[in-house]
Amino acid sequence: MTKKVVFILSIIINIILGIVLVCNLIGASENLKFEYVEEDTIRPDSLRMYLDMQNYGVAASLSHPIRGGAQIAAEDADYYRLGEYADLLFLKAIFDKSGNTDTLKDCETRLAEIREEMPDYGILFDKIEQSAEQAIVE
Amino acid sequence: MKCISCGAEIGLTDHVCPHCGRVLTETAAHQAAQIQYQNDSELTKRKAGKTLAGNIPLVISAFVMLLLVIGIAITGYVKKNAYHFREDAQRKESVNKYDEYSAAIREYLDAGDYTGFAAFKEYHNIAEWEAPYDDLRLLWSITGKYSALVTNVEAAVMFGPEARRYRPEDDVDGCHWAIHNFYYELEHPESDIDSDPYRDYIYDMKEKADLLLEIYLGLDATGRDAYFAASDLEQKVYLEEVLIHD
Repeated sequence: MTKKVVFILSIIINIILGIVLVCNLIGASENLKFEYVEEDTIRPDSLRMYLDMQNYGVAASLSHPIRGGAQIAAEDADYYRLGEYADLLFLKAIFDKSGNTDTLKDCETRLAEIREEMPDYGILFDKIEQSAEQAIVE
Repeated sequence: MKCISCGAEIGLTDHVCPHCGRVLTETAAHQAAQIQYQNDSELTKRKAGKTLAGNIPLVISAFVMLLLVIGIAITGYVKKNAYHFREDAQRKESVNKYDEYSAAIREYLDAGDYTGFAAFKEYHNIAEWEAPYDDLRLLWSITGKYSALVTNVEAAVMFGPEARRYRPEDDVDGCHWAIHNFYYELEHPESDIDSDPYRDYIYDMKEKADLLLEIYLGLDATGRDAYFAASDLEQKVYLEEVLIHD
């Protein structure tokens, strides 16, 4: 009788340990395969929030990883590209004045590409451009 | 024991003498005892087998439990250290792909895109403190500050027409800190800039930082001199005037 009870208890413990093991396996595999920009799950949410708040400069700075070749989750790609657009506009003025003509040209090409790839965001692009123009101190 | 007929040595449980062939009656007690022992032994074996068979599920369960505990310990360790494993793997990959990555870095640098270089280096976990990337050490220490300068200034100056800003005074502090750090790093580099293989890029980065201050913070060469000659408080007051306006 005692042996039976011990056996049943051990089976219950094994089931619990099995569940913990499966959870650990899932967690470990997710942790091992995450991408740079997914590493901080707050980042896409923050990006969206700053775009909503029209803080385009912050969105630009949060999107820096995309310019280093980071892989972006498909559902977040638009936000990153909007941030990239703001970032490139900010840098464009510097490249323009520093005489990096090739880089300036690349910058303009990429800006045109982003606008073309995201035709639904025309109004937002205009606002970002306006903010970049206004950021320049006369 | 000896055979009483021929005197040869015989075993305690022999039925007949192996030498003279006489039937041995004197070993009968030993034979009976042997049979009883054999029967007892058989019974004990059967009992032990039965007990063991009854315990097999419990033993298996305990073994499975041990395996599960080991599995949980291993996966827990991997889960906790996954970031470091991945970082190490990326670092090794960056060493293996040195030629490819070096060419990409050179492209960023030639384009004057130092924030792009910073993002590339961070994304690929390139270790500038060890070979083969250790020649990037000084460039990276300054690029990190330059990248922070760009990040802080762009975050402080680019807003939409109906923007909601959390704490503009934090933008002022951020820019003040980033400007100080970048120019301090240039004045007090961890090694000599002039003898660094990437010195031209470092000087170009400084030019770009100067332009950034001029374009977005209104600090031309004269303004910069005045800004750096001013106290911390005066510098912040200036930045407040530029950054926090209606």
